[in-house]
Amino acid sequence: MKRSGLLLCICISLVVFVTGCWNRRELNELAIAVGMGIDKSGDQYEITVQVVEPSEVAGKKGGTSSPVTLFQAKGPSILEALREITTISPRIIYLAHLRVLVLGESLARAGMADALDFMSREPEARNDFFIVVAKEAKASDTLKILTNLEKVPSVRLFSTLETSEQQWAPTTTVKLDELISVLVSEGKHPVLTGLVPLGDLAIGETRKNTETVKSPAELQYTGLAVFRKDKLIGWLSNEEGKAYNYVTNQIKGTVGYVSCPDGGSISLKVIRSKTKVKGSVNDEQPQIEIEVRAEANVGEVQCHLDLTKNETITKVEKWANEKLENLIEMTVSRVQQDYKVDIFGFGEVIHRSNPKAWKKLKDHWDQTFVNIPVHVKVNSKIRTLGKVSNSFLEQLKE
Amino acid sequence: MLEGGKISIRQLTILVMLVTIGDSILVLPSISTFYAQQDAWVSSFIGMTAGLLVVYVFCMVGQLYPHLTLIQSIQQILGKWVGAIVSLLFLAYFFLSATAHTREVGDFLNIEMIQETPLQASQILFISIVIMAARLGLEVIGRTAEFFTPLILIIFLILIMFLLPQIELERIEPLLENGIKPVLMGSIPCLAFPFLELVTFLMILPYVTQTKKIRQGFLQGALFGGIVLIIIIAMSVLVLGADETSRSIYPSYSLARKISLGRFLERVESSIALMWLLTISIKITLYFYAFILGLAQLFKLKEYRMLALPAAMLLIVLSPLISPNITYYNVLIAKYWPYLDLTYGLLFPLLLIGVYYVRKISKKPTEA
Repeated sequence: MKRSGLLLCICISLVVFVTGCWNRRELNELAIAVGMGIDKSGDQYEITVQVVEPSEVAGKKGGTSSPVTLFQAKGPSILEALREITTISPRIIYLAHLRVLVLGESLARAGMADALDFMSREPEARNDFFIVVAKEAKASDTLKILTNLEKVPSVRLFSTLETSEQQWAPTTTVKLDELISVLVSEGKHPVLTGLVPLGDLAIGETRKNTETVKSPAELQYTGLAVFRKDKLIGWLSNEEGKAYNYVTNQIKGTVGYVSCPDGGSISLKVIRSKTKVKGSVNDEQPQIEIEVRAEANVGEVQCHLDLTKNETITKVEKWANEKLENLIEMTVSRVQQDYKVDIFGFGEVIHRSNPKAWKKLKDHWDQTFVNIPVHVKVNSKIRTLGKVSNSFLEQLKE
Repeated sequence: MLEGGKISIRQLTILVMLVTIGDSILVLPSISTFYAQQDAWVSSFIGMTAGLLVVYVFCMVGQLYPHLTLIQSIQQILGKWVGAIVSLLFLAYFFLSATAHTREVGDFLNIEMIQETPLQASQILFISIVIMAARLGLEVIGRTAEFFTPLILIIFLILIMFLLPQIELERIEPLLENGIKPVLMGSIPCLAFPFLELVTFLMILPYVTQTKKIRQGFLQGALFGGIVLIIIIAMSVLVLGADETSRSIYPSYSLARKISLGRFLERVESSIALMWLLTISIKITLYFYAFILGLAQLFKLKEYRMLALPAAMLLIVLSPLISPNITYYNVLIAKYWPYLDLTYGLLFPLLLIGVYYVRKISKKPTEA
């Protein structure tokens, strides 16, 4: 009896002292960051954090204030700047729901690696946000613009990039762990998608931006930033970005057009694509072979072609092959000549296929990369024509 | 006899499996990848093969005196005084291992989940359960392990299945890039942490019901546990890449963070962490139990249960003391601990077998 009484006492005291958590984070004490921008001004980092305004995003419609709010601070390190935000924000910044990290172009040109350590070390930050570069702009400018369709601009930036990568292909989604593994790799240099603020940025900051049918200020992804290690050295155009994605086997779906010989063009929807990159070393001279297998459907016809004939299909396939081969070859040689950095990961291919030769090559890989012959072979197959076979344009001609 | 309980052969197999997984699932991927890079899975394979041989040696030691625990048989084999010294060394090893593993749990929780909570707060809660289990005896430990095994295996299967889409086979190429030497270096921790530490089981083998099937059960448990570890190491390299695996402090947790199915099944890592919290707790319990039981047997006490609380207090105090920070601890674990395991898990058992047979042969003529 005495024993059970004592046990009861212990249990009750435990209930009092051991409840709850030491490290609790109450939802109403957190500023949930969805977007973060890093710029460099002088020696200091300028951090911009886009934080969700919970009452505005919640189900109930029609608030009058903005759905997100922006905090900015400067500091010698990112963590310092983030903590300094507590002097202007009533809540502490919580990074676990970050959707997008924008790097300012000036920071990217000076070197971005130092800024990334914090994100990889902080246990609260996860690896599931996208990293992009603000093209010819400050990162803070891109996070100031309000958007419609998705109330929270950073969520919109995330979804936009994801959709455009899947459907249109010149953009590429890069997450932190992928970026770091490319940065430390000896046979590859990183590439990030560019983000441009367009239109009237002053209106973009206000709620007016979402009130009109056509938003006065917009954010658009365009081009790929080419890095030498962690320093931005130039940009690829959208077409070149598409070629980059073909080489690195990241095409999920895209659209390409082929010019017809007698004017007009035919557009193809690529629904599947698989790229194999093979490397070989003969007499210390590395060689790269790229083999693309794409499956496409006819999406739009604006020229006179008899699609009911099998020969026409074969012809269109041949044109598509030639065009894509051309595009990839031109892009590779432009990167070889203008940027002289291996963004395609050819070095890694050589590393995997011939580790012994790689040991000799790796120290001066970028010089070697400039001159390696790259052979491209595209094998595209057209599967369906859409809802109609021959275009009504055939009958339209006089 | 101090321990009246008995465990079945199935409980033994399960215990061996869980202790093999133990804390190795947390620390092994990072350490073996540090040496062997993308070939860490080869290392773990070599480690397991050697580990099964070591388990065979343990069974041989166990069969010298099937009714005596390790501490008792040491005294039989080495005599009273030398035996006492070796027994004390073994007990110190058990205690130190339990301490190190407790520290590991605390560090893990501290680094990945509850950063500002003092180390002791989580450790005291953890150790309370260990004390309880050790006081309740072997039967309860065996049944607890049996009870949690389905849960552990389900979590493991979830972890692996949901990560299958993220595998990239080219991450393990090229094979044997820097020759076989780094792979062998990587296989030393793969042998030491999961398998050599199974030496603790020599303390409980006498309490297994079907003595004849012990070898089979022991080997099976080690094999299953080893397969789980090989899969975890291979997955770490295949999903995270060798570079990130070796840089992460807890790659298994990074793996769990990677789970993302559609947009709805993600952020489940804390539930996955339950798996190794369970296996580590079983491992600590067994070490702790071996320590207090062995201590009681060495000093011929009538009871071992009253040793649990004081020993646990020592453990709580010692665990923050064994290393001032995480770097010191990681160096200790990666560079020195495998050799400690080699000493106690391989050298001493072989020595015991050797001395036993030498004495047997030298005795015979006098008896005849």
